[in-house]
Amino acid sequence: MLALFEKSAVVLELELRKMMHDQSDIIIRTIQPVLWLTIFGSVFGQLRQVPLSGVPYLAYMTPGVLAQSVLFMAIFTGVSLVWERDLGQLDRLLCAPIPRTAIVLGKALTGGVKGLFQAGIIFAIALVMGVSIIFNPLYMAAVIAVVLLFGICFSSLSIFVMTLLKTRERVMGIVQLITMPLFFASNALYPIELMPRWLQAISFANPMTYVVAALRALMITGDLSGLPTDLAGMGLATVIFVVLASAAFRKIGA
Amino acid sequence: MPEAAVVTVNLAKHYKYLKAVDGISFEVEENEIFGFLGPNGAGKTTTIKCITTLTRPSSGKIEVFGANVVQNPDKVRQSIGYVPQSLSLVNDVSGYENLLFSAKLYGVQGSVRKERIERMLELLGMKDRANDVVRKYSGGMMRRLEIGTALVHQPRLLVLDEPTIGLDPQGRRVVWELLRRLVKEFGITVFLTTHDMSEADELCQRIAIINHGKIVAIGTPAELKHGVGGDIVVLETKQNPETAAKILEKEQGIQISTVGENSLSVIVESAERYVPAIIGSLSSNRIQVEAIFAQKPTLDDVFLKYAGSRMEAEEVGGDWRQIKQVRRAFRKMG
Ligand SMILES: Nc1ncnc2c1ncn2[C@@H]1O[C@H](COP(=O)(O)OP(=O)(O)OP(=O)(O)O)[C@@H](O)[C@H]1O
Ligand SMILES: [Mg+2]
Repeated sequence: MLALFEKSAVVLELELRKMMHDQSDIIIRTIQPVLWLTIFGSVFGQLRQVPLSGVPYLAYMTPGVLAQSVLFMAIFTGVSLVWERDLGQLDRLLCAPIPRTAIVLGKALTGGVKGLFQAGIIFAIALVMGVSIIFNPLYMAAVIAVVLLFGICFSSLSIFVMTLLKTRERVMGIVQLITMPLFFASNALYPIELMPRWLQAISFANPMTYVVAALRALMITGDLSGLPTDLAGMGLATVIFVVLASAAFRKIGA
Repeated sequence: MPEAAVVTVNLAKHYKYLKAVDGISFEVEENEIFGFLGPNGAGKTTTIKCITTLTRPSSGKIEVFGANVVQNPDKVRQSIGYVPQSLSLVNDVSGYENLLFSAKLYGVQGSVRKERIERMLELLGMKDRANDVVRKYSGGMMRRLEIGTALVHQPRLLVLDEPTIGLDPQGRRVVWELLRRLVKEFGITVFLTTHDMSEADELCQRIAIINHGKIVAIGTPAELKHGVGGDIVVLETKQNPETAAKILEKEQGIQISTVGENSLSVIVESAERYVPAIIGSLSSNRIQVEAIFAQKPTLDDVFLKYAGSRMEAEEVGGDWRQIKQVRRAFRKMG
């Protein structure tokens, strides 16, 4: 068990070192959320009909945009892993005496930590744009936990998908196919009550909805009643995905 | 008799439509440089992947220093350093960080780690470039660093898949020297693949020639060349070499090797003794010999003898382009 966490940390460390050498990825990834907040946020905010229970629209959508950017980043973990495998770089990990789970966990952790960087940047932008975010250290810590868990959860899902689909094209295809519905069929940009019935049904089954709900509660509204369920659900999903992905990984190699 | 580093018995690896490795058996002795020589698609990389636990053999057995690759993969992994055919370095961190990463992966700790990385950088002759990002290295430096990353945990066996592919003669020499030093000074065993005859000949103590997933010959380069059965005599004629071949075929001690468009090569026990007889026999049949020369057999002749064709003929080619592409992809990444 100790070896598992130790080696996961080694895998994570390498990824972070890569990021330190080349921050362009992080910077490019902040462009999209900025556009969402500045363009979509300011236009959509003009529509006064949207019932937001008294929260300004920009504040309402900030947790949604945060969740979205973490989602896009995390779901890409599998794509870059296929890329690494095709280049033969993954062999370096596979021929080392480390548990397969450590590879999965290390890469998934990377997704979580990168998500935190994104969160920090979006936090800063939102503050600059005048969004009032709850400044309570406990709430902040909880936001960090949610973002981390969410990043790990969807990174491991993406790794699992990668082990199933095997080729770069297919993984890219499925990633593009699922990210948009995950985003739009959720409460990220508008309340669920506005949706047609069938879409409401989908959004209740959509994990994004719970993540956004948790973040919105912690950052904006302060109503924490749903938080334990959200966290438990996400934690469970994460464990399942990591186990599945590791099992699939173990079949690679002897 | 030293302990065997690798024992392979009846190893086979089947893909859907193809027997990539088709029942091979060989042993690599401790502290030797053992080479796998074969054309593209012969099954070299597949064999290596089985040894390094990257793929599961379809059947057969492999032991690395007594540990079975399927039953005891982690023990095998710890004792092997692997340098893959396509570069596996992390190209957007420094050379030092690559070594550090390998050391950590293999559980090399604390002060030992620092010391080993320092010594490795010295051995590779890249102390002054250690903190540069790998993407800026030359192909030769990348190769050397790649070998370095495979050595920091002090494996007993170093496995290299085409370690000099894409390098210029100078870069090749550097790698050869490095490998020789490792064997001599550190007692390491080296298993490598190549499709370069001169590399197999000059660098390896023993080689196995592999073609279409089967080992067709195994031994020291000298033994294998001796096995060809003598010297090669090549003669050129403006007349039909086929006719010449038919005539020489009947002579005692002359063996036809290949028939070209206007040349013919034969194998004889000793060139000095047979050249007059060859010329005599042909001219008495009114075949004019334009040129004649003798040469010692090369590994190519060995390949020809056992595989039934020239090794170049088996090559699909494009290796150079391939590695360049990989390197370009590398530089673009990140
Ligand atoms: N994963 C795979 N699935 C199906 N066929 C494969 C796979 N890997 C290799 N092969 C096939 O197995 C055969 C042997 O391949 P291998 O890579 O071992 O050759 P090689 O001797 O290393 O050649 P090269 O000099 O080109 O590297 C080839 O015909 C190849 O196409
Ligand atoms: Mg190969």
